[in-house]
Amino acid sequence: MTKTVLTIDDSRTMREMLNMALVQAGYRVLQAVDGVEGLEVLRAEGADVVITDINMPRLDGFGVIEGVRADPSHRATPILVLTTESDATKKERARAAGATGWIVKPFNPTKLVDAIRRVAA
Amino acid sequence: MDPFESIKATFFQECEELLTDMESGLLAMEAGDDDPETINAVFRAVHSVKGGAGAFGLDQLIRFAHVFETILDELRSGRLSLTEDVTRVLLRASDVLADHVQAARNDGSVDEARTHGMISDLQGLVGAERASELGFDGEEEDAGEEDFGFVPVTLTIDEPADESPPADVSDLIASLAPAPDSAEPQVDAALAPMAEAGAAPAWRVSFRPKTEMYAKANEAGLVLRELARLGAVEVELDTSAVPPLDQLTAEQAYLSWTIRLIGDATEAEVRDVFEFVEDDCELSIVREGEATELDAETPADATADDSDASAEAVEAAAAAPLDLDALLARVQGDAPAAEPAEAAPEALASAPAAETPAAASTDPAGLDVAGLIALAEKASTEQAQAPAAVKPEPKVESKAESKAQAAAPSGGPAAPAPTIRVDLDRVDRLINAVGELVIQQAMLSQRVFESGLARSSDVALGLEDLELLTREIQDSVMAIRAQPVKSVFQRMPRLVREVADMVGKKVRLVMEGENTEVDKTVIERLSDPITHMLRNAIDHGLERPEDREANGKPGEGVVRLAALHRGGRIVIEVQDDGRGINRERVRGIAMSKGLIAEDAVLSDDEIDNLIFLPGFSTADVVSDISGRGVGMDVVKRSIQALGGRISISSEPGKGSKFTMSLPLTLAVLDGMVVSAAEQTLVAPLSNIVESLTPRSEDVHLIGGRDAVIRIRETFVPLIDVGVALGFRDTPLPPSSGVAVLIESEGGGKAALLVEAIQGQRQVVIKSLEANYQQIPGVAAATILGDGRVALILDVDALVTSSRRKSAPRIEKRMAG
Repeated sequence: MTKTVLTIDDSRTMREMLNMALVQAGYRVLQAVDGVEGLEVLRAEGADVVITDINMPRLDGFGVIEGVRADPSHRATPILVLTTESDATKKERARAAGATGWIVKPFNPTKLVDAIRRVAA
Repeated sequence: MDPFESIKATFFQECEELLTDMESGLLAMEAGDDDPETINAVFRAVHSVKGGAGAFGLDQLIRFAHVFETILDELRSGRLSLTEDVTRVLLRASDVLADHVQAARNDGSVDEARTHGMISDLQGLVGAERASELGFDGEEEDAGEEDFGFVPVTLTIDEPADESPPADVSDLIASLAPAPDSAEPQVDAALAPMAEAGAAPAWRVSFRPKTEMYAKANEAGLVLRELARLGAVEVELDTSAVPPLDQLTAEQAYLSWTIRLIGDATEAEVRDVFEFVEDDCELSIVREGEATELDAETPADATADDSDASAEAVEAAAAAPLDLDALLARVQGDAPAAEPAEAAPEALASAPAAETPAAASTDPAGLDVAGLIALAEKASTEQAQAPAAVKPEPKVESKAESKAQAAAPSGGPAAPAPTIRVDLDRVDRLINAVGELVIQQAMLSQRVFESGLARSSDVALGLEDLELLTREIQDSVMAIRAQPVKSVFQRMPRLVREVADMVGKKVRLVMEGENTEVDKTVIERLSDPITHMLRNAIDHGLERPEDREANGKPGEGVVRLAALHRGGRIVIEVQDDGRGINRERVRGIAMSKGLIAEDAVLSDDEIDNLIFLPGFSTADVVSDISGRGVGMDVVKRSIQALGGRISISSEPGKGSKFTMSLPLTLAVLDGMVVSAAEQTLVAPLSNIVESLTPRSEDVHLIGGRDAVIRIRETFVPLIDVGVALGFRDTPLPPSSGVAVLIESEGGGKAALLVEAIQGQRQVVIKSLEANYQQIPGVAAATILGDGRVALILDVDALVTSSRRKSAPRIEKRMAG
């Protein structure tokens, strides 16, 4: 039972890093480069968990959270936001918008997988 | 490459793109663009650099990026307004950031003093007060937090609970255990034996999720599963708040749990499990034994909160002692509150799970409560070994499977890939093969033509189509190597800023035609000449601001860098609005250095172009900036080495313009095909000035051996190509051949004496060094349409060798 994780980040480095850690941990990984594409991929392919960056062109992480929560078929999908320690306000905004949890950058694979396990069955 | 290194390589690659984006954004801002999205894009670029740097523990880079990013955030939020001074500082900061990236990439070090200066300049933008609010007081420790190392570790996910059916049953049983009317005593009864055992420390956790928790897709079951990872757990579910079915709201949270966690987990570890949900639930975590007062408090609160609901629940329970189906419905309605009720696969999947406990009880109406307690105890023990799961698992499984199937055909990431990265070698092999194809096609055409087949014959017509196709393929393949000159241009704003700072001049760089495409090899070699010309324009071309103002010009000088296509070549122009060439001075220098005769009569253009002569440098002291010890002659030579030309036009007081033109590719050459000593040779068209038939009275022998030819009023060496290349010993009588006047890369002129000119054509360049060896006087070879190999002349070498032999300054204009 392979779980699918959708990663949304405009940074190629971050996407590759997430991809490496997640694939090693046995997940199937989908990638999107910004919020708009992220929502498209989610609608087209679905995902068990969404991991999204906050600062992105076109549609940011808050937009992703709102978009997912407003979509009847995906509103129950857990969303983890990538934040940094210094972004306390962004974390709060993301929570208020409906983020399920968060991953503080820089993360290591253990932290990442822990966070996913906490939100995905 | 190990994956970590490869991601690091990606990071630096991405950094380059990010830095470019950042700089173009800043330049746009400098030009007056105050679109929030521009500022956002710059912010994002710096933020991404910082993010990646964090993953690799590049502390210095992180620290600087953090300050930079914070200031950009101030700008973004409107707390700092965009002024000219601000953009200037930001642009310099972007240069420092680029240096940091470079240093991190090469494991080098950064200029600490410069970094510190830059950081204080950045902080200076927001003022001391705000800077301290932003946490700039000390070193920026918050940016350098724990866990920098990104160490790849192989991990497996624990999913035993996901697949084991007992977990499903136990979770339902756990849910059912505390019947509404008798919840409290039963919990105590269940816990009693363990409490008596008493040796192991235990935590008592009371967990009451709020509706918001489910709305954010958190699940109580997963939290409990996490908790179970810390030690043995005994889970009690309190369903007392569940209202009768007709009053039940699907999105509402009704359930709460009391968990006894046995083991030596710390409070921080226990609390950490609730990290994502602590704001969306009522939570108390107490040591067993210290728990008494809090225990008394918690249920009282809970009852007060939900007094209506529990009263109804009690009523409902009284009316029908225990309706299993109704209770199941309640549990189902609660736990998946955040799941859409209409999700068909889930409903179907959960149906069999719902049947299990019903089947287990033979008589639903007379359900044995004591039996359930026993089951609950068993479940607790099981959960002590296996992580708890409250939701029936089959649902998720079927959901995941159907998604996996839907996703399967597309395979990997869904992100569209507008570009592909291809090894340059592969492209070059393709280009080489296409070059052969062109030659083969030309040979075939010629053979067919020679065979006397009618032009209208099928073969000839087919060949014509083939020729068109071949050309198209060649153009397309060449286009693969073509890239916009942007990659070179984008490095220039920084250079201009630095040079301007160094010489104390104000300069605005205007760039045009950045998207003009040219062959990659040409692009790589454009950088140096452009750099040199820009330095020259700022250092020598532009006046000091005060001098400019005295002459009624704006203090800020303008340097224009433009690229355009003209006549199948790329033209690069560097223009300044400075003082122009000081012809008196140039002439004086050229004379004092013996480059021209004292009485030489030169046009303005000719004087201007003297600066390209070897050994000429207008700077009295060789400036470290524009000169770097080399003069414009080096620029000219490097451009000519690419088959290019450079010239200058200037207007005193108004400025100068350097124009260089280069072929679009180095793989194909425009050449003049000539014959000499029964050989077919190709002279690069870019070197050819004119051709003429020599008259014997114009040819003179110097020292009885070396010939010169008079062309109008100038004498230039006359080189018999057949002799020079060793094809024959006796020179060709000049009047029976054709003289082709060429100009070498060094600016020297000579006339090549050949037997005839065959025509002009494009040839594919084949390196001789790669295929044979280097030959003096020959630059490369090509294969002509008839299959013959033709040598491409190295004009520079020919002219140099002839000049070495000839008298110095032979081309000096004759007086009168």
